[in-house]
Amino acid sequence: MAALESETTRQSYLVFACGSSWYAVPAEAAAEVVTFPELTRVPGSPPHLLGVFAHRGEVIPVVDMSLLVGGVTAGSRRAVLVRLSRGTLALTASNVAGVSALMGPLEPLGPSGVHVHLRGPVKSGSRDVAVIDPEGLFDHLSQGG
Amino acid sequence: MLPAGRVEGTLLCHVGPHRIAFEAGEVASIAGPDTSMVSAHRAFQGAGGAQRVLVTATGGTVGVDGLEIDSEVLSVLPPSPVVAGASGGSLRGFVITRGVLWPLLRLESFQRYLLGLAGEGA
Repeated sequence: MAALESETTRQSYLVFACGSSWYAVPAEAAAEVVTFPELTRVPGSPPHLLGVFAHRGEVIPVVDMSLLVGGVTAGSRRAVLVRLSRGTLALTASNVAGVSALMGPLEPLGPSGVHVHLRGPVKSGSRDVAVIDPEGLFDHLSQGG
Repeated sequence: MLPAGRVEGTLLCHVGPHRIAFEAGEVASIAGPDTSMVSAHRAFQGAGGAQRVLVTATGGTVGVDGLEIDSEVLSVLPPSPVVAGASGGSLRGFVITRGVLWPLLRLESFQRYLLGLAGEGA
């Protein structure tokens, strides 16, 4: 179950950086880390949706989390594939720290927009990490967010 | 009649560095550029013009930089829900040909989408 509750987490997460910020996704939803090929831009898509690529018969959208939260692009060609029942998302990753058990609250980091689907704050070592609710993020992106 | 997941005869269009495709049967004719066409560059936040114009069955026009015709039967890969709403819902899926992925669009609804963007920019 990848959905997150508003509680203290004890799950295992894949921790990765996008630009200067660190994120985590539930380990069971993180399928693999890939280096993606040249992307195909989808007409009419927002800037944080960098494009799509074909991977094992599926066309996977690539999302730059840094752009999505209002920052500058991480410019990475690597991505964490997050596999959900409705499809797969690729989240660009400039660094992958590995799987960790994170401790901390899982409160939404903001009242609206994508920040509703980012939870925390939690610590991974000395890093502040935002935990991604993958189902919520998928819904947000599917609604044009 | 081909299954819904396949397309035979595709117009592969270049829009700056980007690619889009349409089922050939949706294109009534191909014309030279004129002032009434809407450029597909708008869908990529660009402002380029057009070298070729695709004319829809109802007379709508979409300008692109260049095009190729592919006569192969191509499988249509379904779009992720994350991108399905882009281009005003005109995205039908993706085809792979020439070794790369092409967004396959419905010409009439893409033209309406571009007109909407033109209205927003006016």
